[in-house]
Amino acid sequence: MTLLWSALSVGAIYALVAVGYNIVFISSGAFNFAQAQLVMLGAFVAYWGLTTLRAPVVVVFLLAGALVAAAAALEERVAIRPTRDIEAQLVTTVGVATLIEGATQLIWGAQPLQVPFFGPTGVARVLGGRVFPVDLVLIAVAIVVALGLAALSRTTLLGLALLAISEDREAAEVRGINVRLLALATFAFSGLVAGLLGPVIGPKTFAVATLGSALALKGFVALAMGGFGSMTGGLLGGLAVGVIESFTARYIGEAYSNTMVFAALLLVLLVRPAGLFGRSRERVV
Amino acid sequence: MRVATVRSREQRSPAHAPPPARRRVPPLRLLPLAAAAVVVAGPAIGFPVNDQRQIVLVTILALTVSGLNLSFGFAGELALGQVAVYATGAYLSGYLGAHGHTDLALQLAVSALAAVVVGIVTGIPGLRLGSWSLAMTSFFLVLLVPDVLNMLQGSTGGSLGLTGIAPATFAGSALTTRAFYVAVTVTGALWLLALRNLVTSRHGTAFRVLRQSPVLAASTGIPVYRMKLTAYALGSIPAGLAGCLFANLDHYLSPTTFGFDLAISILAASILGGPLSVYGAVVGATIMQLGPLESTSFQQYSLVVFGGFLLVGGVVLSGGLAGLLHAGWRRWGPSQAPPERRGDAALGAFPGTALAAHGVSKRFGGMQALRDVNLVALPGRVTALIGPNGSGKTTLLNVISGFYRRDEGTVTLGDDVLPTAAHRVARAGVARTFQTPSIPKGISALEAVRAGRYAVERSSMAAAVLRLPRFRRVSRADTAEAERVLELMGLLHLAHEEAVALPLGTRRLLEVARALISRPRVLLLDEAASGLDEDEVERLAALLRAVRDAGATVVLVEHNFRLVLSLADEVYVLAQGEIIAHGAPGEIEHDPSVLREYLGVAPA
Repeated sequence: MTLLWSALSVGAIYALVAVGYNIVFISSGAFNFAQAQLVMLGAFVAYWGLTTLRAPVVVVFLLAGALVAAAAALEERVAIRPTRDIEAQLVTTVGVATLIEGATQLIWGAQPLQVPFFGPTGVARVLGGRVFPVDLVLIAVAIVVALGLAALSRTTLLGLALLAISEDREAAEVRGINVRLLALATFAFSGLVAGLLGPVIGPKTFAVATLGSALALKGFVALAMGGFGSMTGGLLGGLAVGVIESFTARYIGEAYSNTMVFAALLLVLLVRPAGLFGRSRERVV
Repeated sequence: MRVATVRSREQRSPAHAPPPARRRVPPLRLLPLAAAAVVVAGPAIGFPVNDQRQIVLVTILALTVSGLNLSFGFAGELALGQVAVYATGAYLSGYLGAHGHTDLALQLAVSALAAVVVGIVTGIPGLRLGSWSLAMTSFFLVLLVPDVLNMLQGSTGGSLGLTGIAPATFAGSALTTRAFYVAVTVTGALWLLALRNLVTSRHGTAFRVLRQSPVLAASTGIPVYRMKLTAYALGSIPAGLAGCLFANLDHYLSPTTFGFDLAISILAASILGGPLSVYGAVVGATIMQLGPLESTSFQQYSLVVFGGFLLVGGVVLSGGLAGLLHAGWRRWGPSQAPPERRGDAALGAFPGTALAAHGVSKRFGGMQALRDVNLVALPGRVTALIGPNGSGKTTLLNVISGFYRRDEGTVTLGDDVLPTAAHRVARAGVARTFQTPSIPKGISALEAVRAGRYAVERSSMAAAVLRLPRFRRVSRADTAEAERVLELMGLLHLAHEEAVALPLGTRRLLEVARALISRPRVLLLDEAASGLDEDEVERLAALLRAVRDAGATVVLVEHNFRLVLSLADEVYVLAQGEIIAHGAPGEIEHDPSVLREYLGVAPA
């Protein structure tokens, strides 16, 4: 059970990255490669706020949310808006991801930095397993964020508008939806979510510049497993990746965990390319 | 207006254009060959040893970049896993070298083979989803490199690195540093030559067609999935070769070489040099190798710079440096004279086959798009399909061409049931055009039309790379046919113009030409006349009459009622997914239900 708790909390982080991918994907059909780097940036800002500035926790949350949201909005302006086709966006968002990684290394160095947890740090016993409070918080946050966003996108007018945009951009524009503003807003929002997660994720992962690529890939596996565009799918996919990874590392060997996750990805892509919760769509001429 | 511009272009580039324009091209083509010769001969003409090492490193990087150019630039599949393939080639060669198999030719062959295997195995799942699925699955491979090396610690040395690689030999004798240099540069030059031969051939056009639109690719008979996989697997080969050469450079391999940073720098080099070019890889690799990768003081800024390259390259410099050069050449370089008019272009026999839809139904969710549709199109006749917007005309064409699965019913071509895979339908002899002309960027009108013959007369990629007689023959036939069809349509003077830059009407006619060149048994035209000016409509109508009189089966989806009345032999009227009337144009014109449904006129 102890293992399961830590597996789920790692999985929760992947789920949150997947949810971030989905926010952008649902609204603009774009794939933001740099999503994981935004989360990483949030962890760095959390370190900076808590350790260097010694600011109150609430201020750190706001700071992380605001800064990362700004970074994401900037990304939308320079990397997404000027490009129209998806291949160019792949290149530019990889570029932004690399930039963020490089910049954090320049500012904070390459050594992992310990981000202090704002809550209690003692070990708790829950359901027969030992677990850190930060793990429980992570799992809870992932569930609340994913299910909350799923509900939002289905029930609110805003959610419908976003769906309309990803379905047919021009048609949405004609219906009076401000596509550009919404695209900018959803990027900023995905940045806000990523930033707010920083102080929660940081204590678990440390703030380190190499975090981005691994998070990006595992987050993608979570997304592919759950189905593109599905928030609940992303949540379950993330948790599944965490479980596969941790249990492989524990019972087969540390060196095999990434390979096992990759094998799971290949299996899902081969057997159910649309993911467990995604729907496939017929090709349109 | 449009007619005027077309005519003036015709006047600007008459058939008696000065021939030197053509003759100036070959020396330019030989330039890379001369450059390669100078580089290969480097040690003999006194390149300093340190420069030789740099050139070897540039060549190795250029090879990996060039593979990315093939799969990403030309075929549109972003493969970020070059590093993993590179590592595969390096470690396999290193292992062979450490175990007494030091022959460089053998190692290169094994590495290339392993690269293809890795490419296929990882490409199969990644290519099934959208383009970023492949990007991510292939990127994941890079994450796996250190893990796999650790798993195989006994053979790879794990995190300590692989040592004890014996110096390479060739045909039994040890390679000196100088000979190794020659081997590396010759390998690089040969790969570039092979790549150049491939991308300038019909297969290169096919890759661009695929990149433009999988739907278009399938409609010209290209098996989309297999073609994507081929491009991806071929793009792996140079990375495997590069790995092999790298292993033999320092006789030591460390897992830290094969990380994300290298993956990003390969991508940056590709974007910088121009992903849609053969030699851009060398330019990008040179800049990367001599710049960021070389200076250690620069290292901490390298990621920021790479990121900047990618961002700027992706937004501003979409063709890379090579793209700039190409654009400049097109603008200020000598223009290629259009092919000469032969004046005797004739259609020849055009035997059609009967096409019939029997009880075809198609439902999208809750909407019945087609309900029990029966339609027969006979050879030597133009069969028109008309109906209001949303009545299911294009859906029917898509069902016939295999882009939609039909829920019920069958479609037959002659006595055979038509296959359901789109590229097989095309190969069975059904050619079509699209409502919105779909023409790849960066190719001439002539090439765009030639693309229609891809599946008609086949010649392999190997034949193209080696320029075998068969390739030359098919290529000549492609050009001759394309010129003939273009002349028939009065477009010959535009043969060497960039196809996407032509006006809408001309692009529509190009699509018709692309469909005609395959000599299809059935020709499906989806609103071929919309957006054409009167002169162009006349030309199209005359052409279609000629095609019909030559015996072809023509199916015409059209809104231009007058054109339908003047051209069609048989008219089917579709409304809300059902055929509500069919008959000769004269009958349809006065059919009360058609007047009500289609023309919105209440019957008197």
